[in-house]
Amino acid sequence: MSSDFEAYEQDFGTITAELTNKIGRIPKLSGEEKTQLVLNVDKQLEEVRELLEQMDLEVREIPIQSRAMYNSRLKSYKQEIEKLEKDFKRSRIAYSDEVRNELLGDEASTSESQRAHLLDNTEKLERSSRRLEAGYQIAVETEQVGQEILSNLNSDREKIQRARERLRETDANLGKSSRILTGMLRRIIQNRALVFILGAIILLTIILAIYFNLRGH
Amino acid sequence: MDNTGKEKEAMQLMAEADKKVKASGSFLGGMFGGNHKVEDACEMYARAANMFKMAKNWSAAGNAFCQAARLHMQLQNKLDSATSFVDAGNAYKKADPQEAINCLNQAIDIYTDMGRFTIAAKHHITIAEVYEAELVDIEKAIAHYEQAADYYKGEESNSSANKCLLKVGHYSAQLEQYQKAIEIYEQVAMNTMDNPLLKYNAKEYFFKASLCHFIVDELNAKLAIEKYEEMFPAFSDSRELKLLKKLLDAHEEQNSEAFTEAVKDFDSVSRLDQWLTTMLLRIKKTIQGDAGDLK
Repeated sequence: MSSDFEAYEQDFGTITAELTNKIGRIPKLSGEEKTQLVLNVDKQLEEVRELLEQMDLEVREIPIQSRAMYNSRLKSYKQEIEKLEKDFKRSRIAYSDEVRNELLGDEASTSESQRAHLLDNTEKLERSSRRLEAGYQIAVETEQVGQEILSNLNSDREKIQRARERLRETDANLGKSSRILTGMLRRIIQNRALVFILGAIILLTIILAIYFNLRGH
Repeated sequence: MDNTGKEKEAMQLMAEADKKVKASGSFLGGMFGGNHKVEDACEMYARAANMFKMAKNWSAAGNAFCQAARLHMQLQNKLDSATSFVDAGNAYKKADPQEAINCLNQAIDIYTDMGRFTIAAKHHITIAEVYEAELVDIEKAIAHYEQAADYYKGEESNSSANKCLLKVGHYSAQLEQYQKAIEIYEQVAMNTMDNPLLKYNAKEYFFKASLCHFIVDELNAKLAIEKYEEMFPAFSDSRELKLLKKLLDAHEEQNSEAFTEAVKDFDSVSRLDQWLTTMLLRIKKTIQGDAGDLK
């Protein structure tokens, strides 16, 4: 009896292996091949079910002592088949998803990454607006500095103009003073000359007076 | 070590100079070249004062300069006397502001006598600054600034005159003499409007004038702003005008939060200085005063 069961188990093993293989391939295929494979898988699933039923019957004929082990094995096989069926179903639906992904470049765009992307963008926007504000502030400050400089320049201009005027005045004054000085010099020379002449005349008069006196004697 | 030595030297010189002066006072000295002695004494006083300055003994230095100045007056050296008074004033500035002001006043008298108004104006400004900084007597400071501005106007130095007038306006507004401040700011703004170098400043002056109008009366402010916009189109683009309009609206609605917000906005772009903050605070108080009943 158990040898039957074991034979069944072996069959089961091979068929499930094939099934897993085929189910894995289904989404990647399309059209003719796919429908054929799908039918194939369907048939094999049927076979596997029959196997399972027979295994069940076998297990019932086994004496109760050793039944537990076989029972558990059976249960695990059943679970495996169920899983395979689910996979099969999903693989048929997954058709559209897989191909769509291939078309659109395999984007891992789940909601998580989208959110991160949006946050990133907002942050960039905030950073740029902050920088713009700072730039504006600097522009305003520059304008104020410019204003001050302009008014300084204006007052400097007036100072320079005034200084130039004064310089011209001073120049004229210097000219006048130099003329006065030359005039003074001339007059001094004249005076000195006059003094000498007068002195000479007086001397002459004195000498004449003395001479006439002596002559008179 | 060096300085204390200098001080002693300075004291000696002072004593010598004093003696010389006394000597020349007697009749005999007056006969035999008294003037010569007095001049020498003057020079000695000046040297002594310089040495006191080196020793950082400001009041003694000021004293010595004053003596020198008086001697110069005796000798009818007006110019020298005035310069000595100015030196004395500078020395006293660091020690005794009141004395400094006295000396500077005397110097100013001499200069105005001689007709040198520009220099007199400059010294008025110095005195006003001393009042501003050390003695904190704003009224007198204003008076001196005004005097300086008048002299400058007389000498056709409009930029310096404007500078003084601005200070006058500044302080009058602080002392709540708004009418005067308004007149001054308007006048200055009109003067600067035409000058291509200064026209960028004009809008600031209009802004200040409008603020003063505002404190007095809101309606006045509106009329004034319209008048200014007409006269000076560039005013309308400025951020200051936008601020003013917002403030006017907030004031009408008696909404002090909108007021504060507008002010904060403006402040974040360009910091408000002391004067502006005081004025704006006063305006804000009038808003809150009016809305006090609602609270």
